[in-house]
Amino acid sequence: MSAGVRKLGWSLLAWALVLLVATPLLWMLSTSFKPENEVFAVPVTLLPEEWTVEYYVLLLTETSFPRYFANSAIVATLTTLVVIALGTLGAYSLVRFRYRGREAIASAVLLSYLLPSVVLIVPLYLMMVKLGLANSLASLVIAYTSFALPYALWLLRSFMAAVPEDLESAAMIDGATRMGAFLDVTLPQALPGIISTALFTFILAWNEYLLALVLVNADEVRPLTTGVMTMLVSGFNIEWSLLMAASVMMSVPLIVILAFLQSYLVRGFGAGAMKG
Amino acid sequence: MSAAAAIPRAGISDRLLGPLLIAPVVVVLGAVIAYPLFAALALSLFAVDTLTLDAQWVGLGNFGELLGSDGRFWTALVVTLVWTAATLALQLVLGIAMALLLNRDIWMRSLARSLVLFPYFISTVVAVLVWRWLFNDFFGLINLALIGGGVIDAPVDWLGSMPNAFVSLVVVGAWKFFPFVVIAVLARLQSIPESLYEAARLDGAGVWARFRDVTLPQIGEVLGIVVLLRAIWDFKEFDLIFLLTGGGPIDATRTLPLIVYQEAFGLNRMGMAAAYAVSMMIVMLGFFAAYRAAVRGRA
Repeated sequence: MSAGVRKLGWSLLAWALVLLVATPLLWMLSTSFKPENEVFAVPVTLLPEEWTVEYYVLLLTETSFPRYFANSAIVATLTTLVVIALGTLGAYSLVRFRYRGREAIASAVLLSYLLPSVVLIVPLYLMMVKLGLANSLASLVIAYTSFALPYALWLLRSFMAAVPEDLESAAMIDGATRMGAFLDVTLPQALPGIISTALFTFILAWNEYLLALVLVNADEVRPLTTGVMTMLVSGFNIEWSLLMAASVMMSVPLIVILAFLQSYLVRGFGAGAMKG
Repeated sequence: MSAAAAIPRAGISDRLLGPLLIAPVVVVLGAVIAYPLFAALALSLFAVDTLTLDAQWVGLGNFGELLGSDGRFWTALVVTLVWTAATLALQLVLGIAMALLLNRDIWMRSLARSLVLFPYFISTVVAVLVWRWLFNDFFGLINLALIGGGVIDAPVDWLGSMPNAFVSLVVVGAWKFFPFVVIAVLARLQSIPESLYEAARLDGAGVWARFRDVTLPQIGEVLGIVVLLRAIWDFKEFDLIFLLTGGGPIDATRTLPLIVYQEAFGLNRMGMAAAYAVSMMIVMLGFFAAYRAAVRGRA
């Protein structure tokens, strides 16, 4: 009995805190479905009295939001593909081979993982101007590798290290070449880790703001982060329902990915994968 | 026969294969990190106009100016350090408390665990838009709730005046980033053997004593890493501060990363921006070295 009461108490306390943390996001959801007169109504209604999807329709038909969304999808996907391809081979090299400079490269990767992007913005901007890539999606993909590659490499390295070397040696004794053993044995074993890394990398690229702010200055190539912020400042009066609808839409891919990664994160092994 | 032929071939290729596989990474990181880093160091010695890209050698002049009485380095450093310390402290308290709660046997535990993670994974742009709406003068939920509850009589300006802007920033920063602490601590909590708590209970230790004598020493190492990483990330945070307060009112929340951006693209002084960036890195390296020394001293 007393154990039951104790569980009730702790549950109430925990859920009160969880709901407090979730309130801003629930409020975003609620506002996005409210008609304008209700958004500016006092006293406030916690849930919309009259549910409307007019702002979602408006967002998708009358604004540049779909273009921003497509740009973000392209940039995040390309960044992920490039980074995973390079990172998987690189991580394999770091865990399985001995050569001069290996330790130095590993430490350099760790340090660049902690390097502030703000240090790189001026030189990267000048570089893109010189290469004629300013205001292009390509400039974003190139610039995004600066934070995504060290991050992915660091994660992949720990996943690769967890694959026993014996399996690979056995395959090689059976006549497989080193790359054959890598493709047939190590890669499938490390695949869950590679997929998780890819999804985390995608989230990072999807959410990136600073480099997009510096490198891209035209509506055709703006990703969601900078694009949605221009929607905030370009209107005469701020349409909060529209902005909240945009916020919801822009978070949907992340929610899908997180649902996929949930068990992985909740078990707690994901701590090393979270970057801020 | 084929196996015998494969062995020497594998031997040769192994020596080359390792460096060959890492080579693309080295080339790319050289282009997008090492080269820009050296370029930033070089740029910090010039006065460069962002619009014309006219460069003039000034030696250490930029550093002299930013450290001098006309420069904003020292005030911005203090703002950055206070922001980092305050938001990190709040993240730790909130994160450890939440991890302890979520480690207990509560209702719908896995749902609670995933809900708590959301602030960390949503874009900072989304976080800022939502909070700016919550902080809205006349129609924001916070002002309406506080007025409704009789706490305040008139709407409070949460982002445009001091010290409110700083406090708001610290709170939003804690909300956005505390899930990192939760995840790391929760993972460690799950591996503490229950027998340690049993033993403490037999010795008559209460809830607080068990936390202090069992839990805290066990999660100490993880907390050390969490503090290091989060301190670095909070110190260099740009998006949240830039989008929430823009460094204002005036320069009250303008941290070093914001000054770098402002010098380069607001004031069109690229060389000066690079000098601020380099100074900021030197400070970070200093703290990093101090941390390493402290950890080594304790071990």
